[in-house]
Amino acid sequence: MRRLLTFGVVIACSLLAAACGSSPGSGTSPGATGVLTIDNESGGTWTCDFNPFNLSDISFSLGNVYEPLAFVNTLQSGKASPWLATSWSWSGGNKTLTFTIRKGVKFTNGDPLTAADVVYTFGLLKRYHTLDVNSVWSVLSGVARKGADQVVMTFKTAAVPYFYYIADQIGIVDQAVWSKISNPVTYPDKNPVGTGAYTVSKCTPQNITYQANPHYWQPGLPKVRTVNYPAFLTNDTANTYLANGQAQWGSQFIPSISKFLAGQPAIKWWFPPVANVSIFINLKDPILDNVAVRQAMAYAINRQKASTIGEYGYEPASNQTGIVTPTFSGWLDASQAAAFGNDYAYNPAKAISILTKAGFKRGPNGIFQTPSGQPLSFTILNNGGFSDWVAAVSTIQQALRAVGIQITPQNVAYSTWQTDLYTGKFQLAYGSETGGPSPYYELRQLLYSANSAPIGTPAGSNWERFSSPAVDALINAYGATTSPLTQHQIVDQLELVMLKDVPVIPVTESVDWFQYDTSKFTGWPTPSDPYAQPAAYNYPDWGQLMLHLRPKR
Amino acid sequence: MRFVLRRVGFFVLTLWVALTLNFLLPRMMPGNPALAIIGRFKGGISPQAVKVLQDQFGVGTRQNPVAQYLAYLRNVATFNFGPSLTTMPGEPVSQVVLHALPWTLGLVGVTTILAFALGTGIGIVGAWRRGGLLDSLMPPVFVILSVVPYFWLGLVLILIFGVKLHLLPYFFSYDYTLTPSLSPAFIGNVLEHAILPGFTLLITTIGTWILTMRNNMITTLAEDYVRMARAKGLPGHRVMLDYAARNAILPNLTGFAMSLGFVLGGAILIEEVFNYQGVGWLLLQAVNNEDYPLMQALFLLITVAVLVAILVADVATAMLDPRTRGAR
Repeated sequence: MRRLLTFGVVIACSLLAAACGSSPGSGTSPGATGVLTIDNESGGTWTCDFNPFNLSDISFSLGNVYEPLAFVNTLQSGKASPWLATSWSWSGGNKTLTFTIRKGVKFTNGDPLTAADVVYTFGLLKRYHTLDVNSVWSVLSGVARKGADQVVMTFKTAAVPYFYYIADQIGIVDQAVWSKISNPVTYPDKNPVGTGAYTVSKCTPQNITYQANPHYWQPGLPKVRTVNYPAFLTNDTANTYLANGQAQWGSQFIPSISKFLAGQPAIKWWFPPVANVSIFINLKDPILDNVAVRQAMAYAINRQKASTIGEYGYEPASNQTGIVTPTFSGWLDASQAAAFGNDYAYNPAKAISILTKAGFKRGPNGIFQTPSGQPLSFTILNNGGFSDWVAAVSTIQQALRAVGIQITPQNVAYSTWQTDLYTGKFQLAYGSETGGPSPYYELRQLLYSANSAPIGTPAGSNWERFSSPAVDALINAYGATTSPLTQHQIVDQLELVMLKDVPVIPVTESVDWFQYDTSKFTGWPTPSDPYAQPAAYNYPDWGQLMLHLRPKR
Repeated sequence: MRFVLRRVGFFVLTLWVALTLNFLLPRMMPGNPALAIIGRFKGGISPQAVKVLQDQFGVGTRQNPVAQYLAYLRNVATFNFGPSLTTMPGEPVSQVVLHALPWTLGLVGVTTILAFALGTGIGIVGAWRRGGLLDSLMPPVFVILSVVPYFWLGLVLILIFGVKLHLLPYFFSYDYTLTPSLSPAFIGNVLEHAILPGFTLLITTIGTWILTMRNNMITTLAEDYVRMARAKGLPGHRVMLDYAARNAILPNLTGFAMSLGFVLGGAILIEEVFNYQGVGWLLLQAVNNEDYPLMQALFLLITVAVLVAILVADVATAMLDPRTRGAR
């Protein structure tokens, strides 16, 4: 069925033709042409709300309409480049961060951007803690203006990694507009006033139209005049739309993509890995608390097979250090990993020998038992809504059965999976952390005891309930340094914890889904030029793409 | 009269039971909406945000169930369900439903009426000319079509008329670059977008009407009064319509009234396949995202519509067919 779809002769569709023929909105930047259509299944129609502090709306306004102080690129190990701030520096034992705000930037209502707007924006997050979705005020103690164009942020403790949240994840708003809003928490912001390259020119439940800002502070940018963001209700609809050449920027999971997009040779794809999909092992379980069992499982799982069968190979196999490669390859301590059976390369014989050495004996059905006769038989909690995860876990089940460990998948509804994972009601669980612009962020999510919670209480991350004062000290030390050398040394030690203690078993790497039409636009990010995370649902990264794209003549 | 009163009483009782169930069911589901919304970000936001989202939605604060129930009944009376939690965060539920309702009423409502009218017509004529060309062709074809899964048929039609022939649009309820208005161009665009989903629904639902109508007709045609009418030498079309069809249509009318009630539930799979934003799709989203206020508003709407339809059908049958009035 899907394959047949691609045999259709591709001609400019009526929809696209209509879009091309539509008259330009009043005032667009000179030289900007073309219509770019985003193809990202959101499973909903648009609310047409653009409040940059509301998690439901932020991905439609941060980056292209509202802009942050700096851009932190995950695909280049957190390399930061100027955006609304021209420069910044840490001082005072990494407890003071000073930004210099760009001059000559105007909001779309004509107001100039000033340091006072930046101070006001952060003050807003302090006054309304529900707007502070990244909890920056858990580490900040004050934000003040210094001179005409500087903003000084002071911290309670050294918190260098928070630079990412402060500089990259918060859009700066116009004080003159927002100070008149009575309740910023519920403010829908239907007509957002930002400094960005685009304005919202029209929004209906079916589509958002972004129009180039004619007075954008970067002269000559953006090059693309109109960006359409239609609302796709299902994955299949969005995939078909892309396969028919009706959209140019895809952020879709497409099974058998090379066959599916065979009719569109100009559409390329790239899936850069950004975090791990792992087996979380409940360390409060009396049997799983035994490190031998965890190590044996890590050897017994064929990660490559889980990737090939479960994920069509689009999500590459992970490694036990938790370092996502190739994205963060520079952080991987390969020699250290090699000491652990070549980074826990697939080795069922070794798994069996570890279990035997640890005193487990095979029971009558071939399943290992504890000396007291309890079988190594566990349930694994999984999100039944992700068919790829279900397939991957089923390969893991076979691999573990082969070494005498039995696991039973529980493929439950999304909400049940999430609740049980967060509250620790599982033995094994298949899940994924969000990661961040360097491996530190994911390792911290996985291992920092402050992120965890007792069984029964929802934990923000660290769902396996790992706790070690030494690891906590390492993580805190990382927060106090800006030295790359020290940062690498700390991450190396965290990798060693992953290898030695096996608190979680990374299986495959979660990726950014990205398809791009090279026949109509140039300037897409590629493996050789990974200037931003490419999927349209990444903010503020998608704003970077819109600044780089150029219509092809 | 007593019959109507009894029906109305039964209606009120059923309505109360349905309302109470509607209150209880969502609260027995696991999880909470703050977790559900995080799932929509494909891992893009941190789990620390759960707390913030719970505060935003006010789901962390547990009210006492009795107070919740009373507030719920009060809101139902005024159709005030507060803001949607996750499907269209922040929008008033009544607004969200009102946006989706016209699309479903237009698409599913019109096709239901068309399917009933056409199906009944074909059933009448088919039974009258039993064994004729119409009778030997139409019922089998449409009965077969009615067991074809309609979403699958929809996909096939998309493939043929949309993807291969480029004849008809197949996604969205209108060209999303247009601004909704009452202009002929926009209405034409909406109709064009409704052809494929409407046709799919029509040809998969028409078979049932044909079959039931034809069977009723055949039984009725064997009645003495039909033979009597023929014996009197009345014209064929009068016998067919006024004597036979008029009586044979009664069970079908009840079915029709009930299916009109179900229109409000939308056609979930059709709306999914054609990316058509009606009530059925909204309902699915509300359930997936645990959007309690939206779910309750939709369930309520559907329940009331079906109950009203049943009431109307009962009363209508009673008026058309005196025999049913005496029953019980």
